[in-house]
Amino acid sequence: MSATRHFQCTICGQCCYGLLPLTCKDAFANAARFPLGFVWTALRQGSKDYAMTATLGTTLTLAHRKELAVMITPTAYLPKSFPCPALGDDNRCSIHLNKPSRCRTMPFYPYRDERYQAELLKPRLGWACDTSTAAPVVFKDHQIVLRDDFDQERQALLEQAPVLRRYADYMFKYSPWLVGALTQASSQTKTRSVVTSLSSFLTATRNADAGRLARLQLPVLNDYATRTGGDAQLAEFHQNYRNWFQEMTYLSQRLDASPTCADASVRSD
Amino acid sequence: MMTLCPCGSIHDYEVCCGPIIAGTPAPTVEALVRSRYTAFVKCALDHVERTHAPEVRDDFNRADAERVTQQYEWRGLEIRRVTETGDTAKVEFVVRFRREQQELSTISVSGFRRDHGQWLYVNTESSQIAPQRVTKIGRNDPCSCGSGKKAKKCCGVALEVK
Ligand code: SF4
Ligand code: SF4
Ligand SMILES: [Zn+2]
Repeated sequence: MSATRHFQCTICGQCCYGLLPLTCKDAFANAARFPLGFVWTALRQGSKDYAMTATLGTTLTLAHRKELAVMITPTAYLPKSFPCPALGDDNRCSIHLNKPSRCRTMPFYPYRDERYQAELLKPRLGWACDTSTAAPVVFKDHQIVLRDDFDQERQALLEQAPVLRRYADYMFKYSPWLVGALTQASSQTKTRSVVTSLSSFLTATRNADAGRLARLQLPVLNDYATRTGGDAQLAEFHQNYRNWFQEMTYLSQRLDASPTCADASVRSD
Repeated sequence: MMTLCPCGSIHDYEVCCGPIIAGTPAPTVEALVRSRYTAFVKCALDHVERTHAPEVRDDFNRADAERVTQQYEWRGLEIRRVTETGDTAKVEFVVRFRREQQELSTISVSGFRRDHGQWLYVNTESSQIAPQRVTKIGRNDPCSCGSGKKAKKCCGVALEVK
């Protein structure tokens, strides 16, 4: 376990596809770029990441004195087959200097305890990360060698935990279906997740910037709704983009006028 | 000409939920629940927002509700039980609707409070969604909206009667 680990990114771009977990700050800073949703994952007691998940997220008490640890992650909500919109044709990140802290910390993952980080260095199928001894040592004696990005992302996650907990309390109160969905998701062998909307987060946290964020999200959601239309495999993504487009339409107009639901029409295709 | 109220009361909209949605205080807690349902049918969500108790008014996700009013087809409301204790009340009710080609219903128990003569929504104690068994309603079966009227006289046909 205490072996030194090597890692070097070869810029294959493969880890820049699909869902991208973000900090709240990164999510809002990129509201004009990413379609934003909130991904909820639940862990059962006894799971290795339980304590860290409970610290960075929340816990949910179920019947029979059972408890789940729940992580709520602001996310660039993209299908697995979709590249991040910031990924350039040369497989390089086009916003490298400003990329989200999630991307800066790769391949480490501060949602997990530091001592389990070595496991994350094993490239997933199709990833071309160099983990040979020719690559620099990145993990040694159960610790990350160059740790600034990891520490910064962990710090951001710790700082935003109270806001996410407030959001979780709100959702458990007003959306009882979520409790059932998380319980179900946690009982599956493969970790599954549940997705909720930006509008619910903005409402729960009384975000004063809701109108501006909604206006930034509108063209993004419209674009992704168009690109996912007509593909049965992407039906859930498509429906969420369309739903959120309608919700953001309302929020973007709320301060300007007092619209009725008839005003918020989504393109239908 | 009259228009049957969507709440299933078999009264004219103009004397049932209409005035309450327009701002007249609901005379009973049941009338408030009916009018809040009808406000969803009529896309009149100002009424729903206004009749949240002040301490939970900002919790109302109006953007989500606006989407729901557009996307769902409303099938009916059934008030199951009203328990009033002075200025507080609990109401159990069922809302039936169609969403993404599915007939669904939610059964909820909500709490209400009377402030200065105004009934207000306070909380939801429980709410469960269930797929609605899809049974074909015959023209002479009771309407699914819970009004007790025959389907052909209620939601099954145009709601306008002379
Ligand atoms: S922001 Fe850059 S590094 Fe991060 S997923 Fe997108 S392209 Fe990749
Ligand atoms: S998968 Fe590995 S090699 Fe490819 S871009 Fe991501 S970190 Fe770099
Ligand atoms: Zn009525």
